[in-house]
Amino acid sequence: MSAPNSLRCLLRPSAAVPRQIAAATWTPSPWIAPFSTTPGAGKAGTTPKKNVPKPKAAAPRGVGMNPTGKKQSMKKFKKAQGAKTAKPPLPGERKAMRKRIQLSNNNALPVEGLAELEPGTMLNPKNIGTMAALPGAMQDNLRSLEAFKATQFWPMFRQPATLIRSETVDLMNRMQSAASKKETLRLVVTGERITGKSLLLLQSMAYGLQNDWVVINIPEAQELTTACTEYAPIPDTDPVQYMQNNYCLKMIQAIRKANASVLSKITTAYSHPELPQNIPINSTLLALANAAKEPESAWVVFQALWKELMRKGAARPPVLFTLDGLPHIMKVSDYRSPAFELIHSQDLALVRLFSDVLSGATSLPNGGAVLAATTRGNAPRSPSMDLALAQREAEQAGTELPKPEPYFKGYDLRSEEVLKTVSVMKLKGLSKVEARGLMEYWAASGIFRATVDEKAVAAKWALSAGVVGEMERVNLLTMHP
Amino acid sequence: MPPRLNILSGFRALSIQPRPLAQPCVAAQARRLLATDTTSNNASQIQDNNFNGVLRAKMEAFGQVPQEEPAPPAMSENEMALKQLQEAAYGLNTYDPEVHGHKFGVPALPIAPDMNHKRRYDTVVEQVTKLLMRDGKLAKAQRDMAMILNHLRSSPAPKINPAKPLIPGSPAPEQLPLDPVGYLTVAIDSVAPLIKIRKYAKLAGGGRALELPAPLHLRQRRRWAFGWILDVVNKKPSRGSGRGMFPTRVAEEIIAVVEGRSSVWEKRNEIHKKGTAVRANVFSSRMKGIKL
Repeated sequence: MSAPNSLRCLLRPSAAVPRQIAAATWTPSPWIAPFSTTPGAGKAGTTPKKNVPKPKAAAPRGVGMNPTGKKQSMKKFKKAQGAKTAKPPLPGERKAMRKRIQLSNNNALPVEGLAELEPGTMLNPKNIGTMAALPGAMQDNLRSLEAFKATQFWPMFRQPATLIRSETVDLMNRMQSAASKKETLRLVVTGERITGKSLLLLQSMAYGLQNDWVVINIPEAQELTTACTEYAPIPDTDPVQYMQNNYCLKMIQAIRKANASVLSKITTAYSHPELPQNIPINSTLLALANAAKEPESAWVVFQALWKELMRKGAARPPVLFTLDGLPHIMKVSDYRSPAFELIHSQDLALVRLFSDVLSGATSLPNGGAVLAATTRGNAPRSPSMDLALAQREAEQAGTELPKPEPYFKGYDLRSEEVLKTVSVMKLKGLSKVEARGLMEYWAASGIFRATVDEKAVAAKWALSAGVVGEMERVNLLTMHP
Repeated sequence: MPPRLNILSGFRALSIQPRPLAQPCVAAQARRLLATDTTSNNASQIQDNNFNGVLRAKMEAFGQVPQEEPAPPAMSENEMALKQLQEAAYGLNTYDPEVHGHKFGVPALPIAPDMNHKRRYDTVVEQVTKLLMRDGKLAKAQRDMAMILNHLRSSPAPKINPAKPLIPGSPAPEQLPLDPVGYLTVAIDSVAPLIKIRKYAKLAGGGRALELPAPLHLRQRRRWAFGWILDVVNKKPSRGSGRGMFPTRVAEEIIAVVEGRSSVWEKRNEIHKKGTAVRANVFSSRMKGIKL
């Protein structure tokens, strides 16, 4: 009989000891004020006895200050009871609802003559200013890569379609030439808020998926650096690097789902003894990706997959590696080392892998592109990134390089190193031709009800300065029918 | 070289000029002197003349006077206005609204209802938006309303409950999502009460209030209906998080109203039932001498 008691004494007192016992055994010291942040402790008889009001039941009805005999409440206002009665949402349900992406709307009119995206559509300058619908199979792939964002206006239309703008054609042609020459296109997409940076990444992913590239995407860089996913030091690394296994597993699953057709055609060339299951040589890369079933092995599997993709020749496809939210990896992360020092984002292995390709330290032997998009909405301040991008822009324009502020200490040299030799594509507003193509698509979808003529286009274009997100706000987020 | 001295030049000031002919194209009063208005340079000419005068004085001090004849003084705005008045007195119509005073011309009549920036939205939408507003944040309320309309637009067609009929003349349920403003209007007008219960204090005897039905205007009815909808919305918990949740809840409640699932219908029935009951008080003897 003594065993349960002795075990119970190992537990925390609050969990093990019934409340009445705790209240009876623990008497407050006269030196301690009768206050506790724990609600239970305050109620359980810790207040001195003279402050406790007499129970109302003892007073005769109709006598004293409370003639109704009801329990007197000192609260001035009653609390609203409505919200409490309903069942609270399960953990994660609210976020899932917030991140839910609806890609079609059967109420919207189908657009006549809307061409579907084909492998060469985005290469042709003739298509600038036209809309191209994303084919159904590709929608699933892009969805698994998390290329769609919840803030975009997908649920307004019958099927998702994107505008082909001049920057799109420019970027796709550069990607194509890089792949054909087996070079690496290293590019940062920048621009003001809602100028279409994430959508340009989506278009590049669509191009990659249609042209049999292997597409890897980090949809939100902040998920890697804001200390919201698990991390662990990688053994035998100096300086210590950290792997993020849960995130890696999620990423491998996305890669496997989106690139299944490509990965099933490529076979492994190395034996990978470190993997948890035996993957013999000449098995498909899909089988290799399938080896990641537990978070513990995710980083190892990802490394193996990367090693296979980086093998020169052997009919390996080009690789597209994209990341949205560049400023989040251009700073010290929110993670802490065992010595409780902040970890730099570049010490996170996955971020490091991306940065090495972006900086040119490692190149993609079979060609491909590494694209990073800055974000302006929810971005930490990264003076080094801003300076480096401004310098690269000035280099491209052939103007004088902006200089760092001499007395400013907030620069981050490791981040600057990454962006030393990248090329920069700055997105600005649409041209009027592109704006007209977009508005005609909205009109054909039954959302924009007025006639799309030169005057209407000019009015909306002037209101939004051509910025595509502002045009959406002006036309799609209004109280007009 | 200074201008030649001539005795005849003294007579110039005495020359008798006939009355200038009426020029119907000058309308200085109606001219807006915009910065970009290149057609009306009178004010700037005056300024130029002043500037030239100062310049000339300076150049004379250095002995460098230009050779040109002085330009005839331009007519000032005031003179032009006086001239116009004179012309009007002679019965000439000098002001042509098609030509003068409108840089971009006159809009075609009748003016479209949404051309007035203060009445550019549908009346229901405008009223309901103001009811959505909290802490005077109208822009947020407008954004919420836009999201409500987008939610209605992208939701499937409602399934109408025959026990809770919509307002007569409402479109087919398949048409409703295509016209979100109409959707909203149908929902609000369908649950809008026709009457309210007005209470006359202490008239019913025993200190009780005497209750009478009182009709409501259209705007009042809509206000009551949307107030009930907002009450339900504010008590419901959000299923998600983020700024889109309040408009989502409102839109879901509007769909619930149209589908007959909402508790707002009970409130409407209740007030109508009570109004029918207290109709008997309209001709009550206690109401004698009281103006309704």
